[in-house]
Amino acid sequence: MTANLIGDVTMRYVDLPPQASDGSVPVLLLHGFGTSFDMNWRAAGWPRVLEAAGRRVIGPDLRGHGGSDKPTESGLYLPEHFVDDLLRLLDALDVEVVDVVGYSMGSRLAWSLALTAPARVRRMVLAGFGPTDALAGLGETAPGTGDTPFDHVFRTVAALPGNDPEALAACAHGQAADPFVPVPRPEGVPMLLVAGAEDTVAAGASDLAAACGAGFVEIPGRHHANAVSARAFKEAVVDFLG
Amino acid sequence: MAEENITFTLPDLGEGLVEATVLEWQVAVGDVIGRNDPLVEVETTKSAVVIPSPQAGRVVELHAEEERVVPVGDPLVTFAVEVAEAPQAGIVGRVPTEEAAPRRRVRLKPPAE
Repeated sequence: MTANLIGDVTMRYVDLPPQASDGSVPVLLLHGFGTSFDMNWRAAGWPRVLEAAGRRVIGPDLRGHGGSDKPTESGLYLPEHFVDDLLRLLDALDVEVVDVVGYSMGSRLAWSLALTAPARVRRMVLAGFGPTDALAGLGETAPGTGDTPFDHVFRTVAALPGNDPEALAACAHGQAADPFVPVPRPEGVPMLLVAGAEDTVAAGASDLAAACGAGFVEIPGRHHANAVSARAFKEAVVDFLG
Repeated sequence: MAEENITFTLPDLGEGLVEATVLEWQVAVGDVIGRNDPLVEVETTKSAVVIPSPQAGRVVELHAEEERVVPVGDPLVTFAVEVAEAPQAGIVGRVPTEEAAPRRRVRLKPPAE
């Protein structure tokens, strides 16, 4: 399905019903930089786990990603644009409140969503994400040309079929223009952080959790690219969302 | 019902990938699982994915230990699946010609006891 959003950007999303609804709020899954709902969540086995837990799953492809439109101007990739997209999507679906699970960039956007509209986020999981600005020092340089953890991520995802490196570079610059700051934290939204023990992109996740009074779950032996599909991650999320 | 063993090999994961590393089995020997239940989590050079079970059955053997690299096409798991008791229902009457071959799969009524 698609929804028309800000700046004539059309967003592809999926809306998957639970196997048997327990009346819980839907779960909004926000994928990471350079991936899509299908790659980040579906292939990693998430919809089935959440559907079996009685949860409706709403999974957008964020602007610049997957089957959604991919503008190439960095000014269209500020966190506020993603937040607007998500709020419009929820409005279009007539969904008032969701639980949000983000991965990597999706976590940063989950945080921004909860700051902007705390009443619409019941609980939130930030995974593959830490307080260190992954895009620090990007400036005007082309992403993927250096040796930071983000450069490695960029090179990997830019080569994936269906991705537009120009749109992804614009997205990286748009995000870098408004760096993540850990204060203020979204008020009244219970939070869980999850990270692979070897995840360098999520360095400091446990510190951020401590500073926010959030829970923290570490996935042993996993790095940024392979923590997503880990059973321990899924179990922690199902437990936390209740 | 009789049982038959069926072995499932590592499928082609696309994009020219020729192997994958087993990260974590989602099933154990003896488990009875349904079609599309999570079977095994594997990692390629591109991503980590959970492969759903291609069929229902009882897991009788896992062919790869966790952290082992498995080439595409190598055995992954063996299931025991229920099959109809031999002998199979015979054909009564004239053998249909090729022209009359059914175009759709239909469910045949079992013979009355």
